[in-house]
Amino acid sequence: MNKKAQIFERLRKAVIVGDTEEAVKAAQDVIDTGIEPWKAITEGLAKGMEVVGEKFEKKEYFIPEMLVSADAMYAALNLLLPLLETDETVEKQKVVLGVVEGDIHDIGKNIVKAMLTAGGYEVIDLGVDVPTEKFVETASSDEVKVIAMSTMMTPTLLSLKDVEEQLEKKGLKGKVKTIVGGGTVTEDWRSKIGSDAYGKDAADAVGKVKLLLNQIKAAVELAKKKREKRS
Amino acid sequence: MIREETERPEQVKIVFFPYGKREWFSKGRVSIFSAAKALGIDLSSLCGGKGTCGKCKVKIGEGIKGLNPLTEQELKHITQEEIEAGYRLACQAIPTTSISVYVPERSRVGKQRLQTEGLEVPVKQLNPFVRKYFVKLPKPTLHDFRSDEDRLLDTLNAGYGLSTGLEIDFELGVDLASRLRDADWAVTAVIWKNRIIEVEPGNTSGRCFGFAVDVGTTKLAGFLMDLNTGKVVAVASRMNPQISLGEEVMSRITHQIMEGHKGVKELQGAVVSGINEMIEECCEKVGVEKNEIYELCFVGNTAMQLCFLGIYGRYVAFTPYPPVLRRGVNIWASSIGLTSHPRANVYHAPVIGGFVGGDNVAVILATRMLESDEICMALDIGTNTEIDLGNKNLVMVDSCASGPAFEGMQIKHGMRAATGAIERVSIDLETLEINYRTIEDKPPVGLCGSALVDVPAELLKAGLIDLTGKFVPEMAEKTNRLRRNPKGIWEFVLVLQPETATDTDIVVTQGDIRELQKAKAAMRTGAEILMKRLGEERKETVTEDDISKLFMAGAFGNYIDPENARTIGMYPELPYERVEFVGNIAGTGSRMCLISKEEREYAEKIATTVKYHELAADKDFQKEYIDALYFPHKNLDKYPDTADLLRRLGRIR
Repeated sequence: MNKKAQIFERLRKAVIVGDTEEAVKAAQDVIDTGIEPWKAITEGLAKGMEVVGEKFEKKEYFIPEMLVSADAMYAALNLLLPLLETDETVEKQKVVLGVVEGDIHDIGKNIVKAMLTAGGYEVIDLGVDVPTEKFVETASSDEVKVIAMSTMMTPTLLSLKDVEEQLEKKGLKGKVKTIVGGGTVTEDWRSKIGSDAYGKDAADAVGKVKLLLNQIKAAVELAKKKREKRS
Repeated sequence: MIREETERPEQVKIVFFPYGKREWFSKGRVSIFSAAKALGIDLSSLCGGKGTCGKCKVKIGEGIKGLNPLTEQELKHITQEEIEAGYRLACQAIPTTSISVYVPERSRVGKQRLQTEGLEVPVKQLNPFVRKYFVKLPKPTLHDFRSDEDRLLDTLNAGYGLSTGLEIDFELGVDLASRLRDADWAVTAVIWKNRIIEVEPGNTSGRCFGFAVDVGTTKLAGFLMDLNTGKVVAVASRMNPQISLGEEVMSRITHQIMEGHKGVKELQGAVVSGINEMIEECCEKVGVEKNEIYELCFVGNTAMQLCFLGIYGRYVAFTPYPPVLRRGVNIWASSIGLTSHPRANVYHAPVIGGFVGGDNVAVILATRMLESDEICMALDIGTNTEIDLGNKNLVMVDSCASGPAFEGMQIKHGMRAATGAIERVSIDLETLEINYRTIEDKPPVGLCGSALVDVPAELLKAGLIDLTGKFVPEMAEKTNRLRRNPKGIWEFVLVLQPETATDTDIVVTQGDIRELQKAKAAMRTGAEILMKRLGEERKETVTEDDISKLFMAGAFGNYIDPENARTIGMYPELPYERVEFVGNIAGTGSRMCLISKEEREYAEKIATTVKYHELAADKDFQKEYIDALYFPHKNLDKYPDTADLLRRLGRIR
């Protein structure tokens, strides 16, 4: 194993076992040896979070393990992110994330945030008890393509519906796609309210967000081609 | 966070209430009866599923359209009224879509063991609102032409000194004249507060009854009481029939929101029908007429208060969860369809906050916490667990969504405490073999709450799970009870199939352990944060040492093993002798409010004095919760005795 691969492996392992200290050390080594930070993130940290997600799905990892892993990842990320070349950051897709109005449970949302961050997205975290207008407002920005929202309670399922309706009303539905999830949310409810995707857990959410972004990209390219044809 | 997929091709999901058990079955091939059998649900049948005995009637909730048409056999057993209400014979009905099925009490074999008994606490004074006075009225003459009303009032005043503001209820006034004359002027006046609500012929003052109820999210407990003596004369309990409209408080309120007025009425009708059944059962047991019940007292959490009184609860369900009516409420029984005397007063105890209701007021009342010199803690365990802490200077309360895991819900082989439920489990530390006991010693069907406390504690002591709650894969070399299921998820076999009453092994999965961890962590966090915040209010730290008494109350309180509960960290590590199991203490409080004006006034005072703490908004919530997810706790200094035990067993260094 060459030096580079060794460092990536250390980052990966540090995330899996949730060793913040080691993650920071390895990130420092990335900087010192002049490895591309972006590579370290995707080959090291993200790979680690992938394993964490798998273990979580099998219930072998639980909330505390998820959170310490996320901590380790963030610690390394904080060192590496500022070093990214500007064009690399521009490449990053923005995802708006929040717990809907009326609900203040944020542990699950934070886990999703960590997984999305590890997946290479820039997460705009609106926090908890986020008013419907706030989601819609953020969605109006050009760069935002995906809104991810969740709730753990039943009555607040209606808040998810509110957001969908407001997006529809403002004509934003095509421009942004939505993904919903959380303790009480089901695929059934997703289809009822017309959201674009359902993430059954954090790992699933990352995959679905990727899918949504690909859909948007494909749609944009198709439109472009049509335009070109016409002209 | 991880949920089962909501749809599967070629399969339908069948959910049984009130058990909360659910499973996937082949579409269009499995009758509800076979599904129930496979899940070990105690559905009664004499013919074994041929459609000839008509015993397996079930009520269909969602998904009735996906059933085959009524069969000839069914038409012989099910009335038109039942058809309209959605009844089917389980053995004849075959679902082609996912479906929810309610098994009514009469179609069940085993009796649910619902804990109704609570500690007896003497009231300050036996002083019911309802009083009976026997009077003989002078007949009207040409010289005494007072109205019937005045005649009665004057006589009551002369005989008993009842003068202040006494009045006759108008509805009674309508046929007062004939009542007095039919009884030949010798009547017993029934007075609630200062209102005459009934006159009974002759002297019935020796018979005066009331009915106290604890309206729980999952169960109802009713007590018929003799208001002259203050004693319970009959007890009944039921599952709360609202369960089929939503398993926990949030889904009930959602039902209100989604269905509007209709939903509000449905929920109210459901709980009232359950209460009426209990009234009937109690009255029959001891030969009391339903009409002899002149007052009813209710305690329930805030959502139950809304659903019972028919109040629209939408805004209670959203932060910051404000209740609608905080005070105690008095209404007439007839106005909500209760089958006591129509003019019986219905009192619902006041609530404290959106998640802390009249049941908790009753807990504080009956534990006498607010009068104690020493600091006490009360844990009322249920789907929502309320925690009270304090003494005469200040009592604080918070409420946590501990979820129904300890009631057997969301647990693979979990069930309620009914016949055949495993209620005790121990694991031999040497051989890793299992000893268990079931309710009524019947073959095991599943695990109920008390066993769900035992299992993680025993697994921990045996080294089968670690402090984080994870199964220890290396232990699979020592016992083949520890195995991976086809999905690669670890599970531990408690009972092998030939021994069970179902067609599968009874196991506890890694996912089950996680659910139990979440439930116990929620309770423990509620306790920890309350200790911190009470300390801040008192300007001195409150530690385990300061807590002189821990009252463990609630659904399965009396049946759980206090040692195992402590080992998994369900409550702070106090010496066992300070832990007192008080059972359904909310029911006790309800009874006290029924028979004593003083206690009822005191309940109103409690509701305004107790300080509610919003747990979810607490800055330390997340950290405390995560620490409390561990067995017994991340910080073992909080559990020195338990840590010592685990050290001796070689589980920790």
